[in-house]
Amino acid sequence: MTPLGSGQEARRQTRYAEGEPTDWPTALAIPGPEQDHALRALHALMVKAARHQVWRMRDMLPTTDARSREDLANGAADEALTVLLTKLDTFEGRSRFTTWAYKFAILQAATEVRRQAWAHREVSLEDADLWSDAAPSPAQHAEAVDLATAVGAAMQHALTPYQRQIAVALLVDNVPIDVLADRLGTTRGALYKALHEARGRLRAHLTRTGHLTGTSQGGER
Amino acid sequence: MTQDRRQLTPEAARLLTLSTDPWLSCEDCFDLMDLYVERLLDGPQTAEMRAMTVHLRGCAACAEEAESLLLLVAEQDGRDVHDIQRSLHD
Repeated sequence: MTPLGSGQEARRQTRYAEGEPTDWPTALAIPGPEQDHALRALHALMVKAARHQVWRMRDMLPTTDARSREDLANGAADEALTVLLTKLDTFEGRSRFTTWAYKFAILQAATEVRRQAWAHREVSLEDADLWSDAAPSPAQHAEAVDLATAVGAAMQHALTPYQRQIAVALLVDNVPIDVLADRLGTTRGALYKALHEARGRLRAHLTRTGHLTGTSQGGER
Repeated sequence: MTQDRRQLTPEAARLLTLSTDPWLSCEDCFDLMDLYVERLLDGPQTAEMRAMTVHLRGCAACAEEAESLLLLVAEQDGRDVHDIQRSLHD
């Protein structure tokens, strides 16, 4: 191996701040030792982000075992790295590369935690008029309870059976959106779109019945 | 077959009637998430960022992931994570 001259060494030090390339897309794109180094550094970042996410959501997991959490984080990091590399050409430099990269690991780890948390839980899709009038607890304002009763009625009048099933699963039974998407063979984006439309229909219906004003943000706190 | 009647809680009613306009998809939210986080930490807010805020109120999964990314980047940058966390929930 030829020793680097002082100029080359300086450039090398510039390109690798704290062991990481300063130009990630280039370092990752060109086969060779720099690509190998960049891949190792990127994998380490993905593991860091996946561990961070798994730790945040650890209470959802069926096991408290540290080894299982570590396996989960490493698996998510591997998967996220694969996905990231297929999307490398979409990095536009609007944010730091590391911030852009972290989000892939966070998404993958969060999705996997939710999947494991619900792996043995049934997701029932209800479509029935099951809502009884709510009696306010001491902590609840009667006005909020009235709205809840009106929303229950509006769900029967304004939503399609599919919209009701989605809305109840996501917002009443708190089924995670990616778990529901997986069970229904659809995507998170498609479910959110259905929920968005259901919310719009409910808001329009409740505005007509006088329970919401036209400018009300509804649930906005 | 009879089924038990259930109560719709005020919190569920709040979430069901949340306005999620302007529309932003989960895919667009993911695309913008890194930019959103860095803008929250340092930069000016734009109309796109307003749509992100609305989306994150209405999508619990995206909200969890955005908060997680924000805290990870803040911690990496040596920022006061607790202050940032508080500002997220104000």
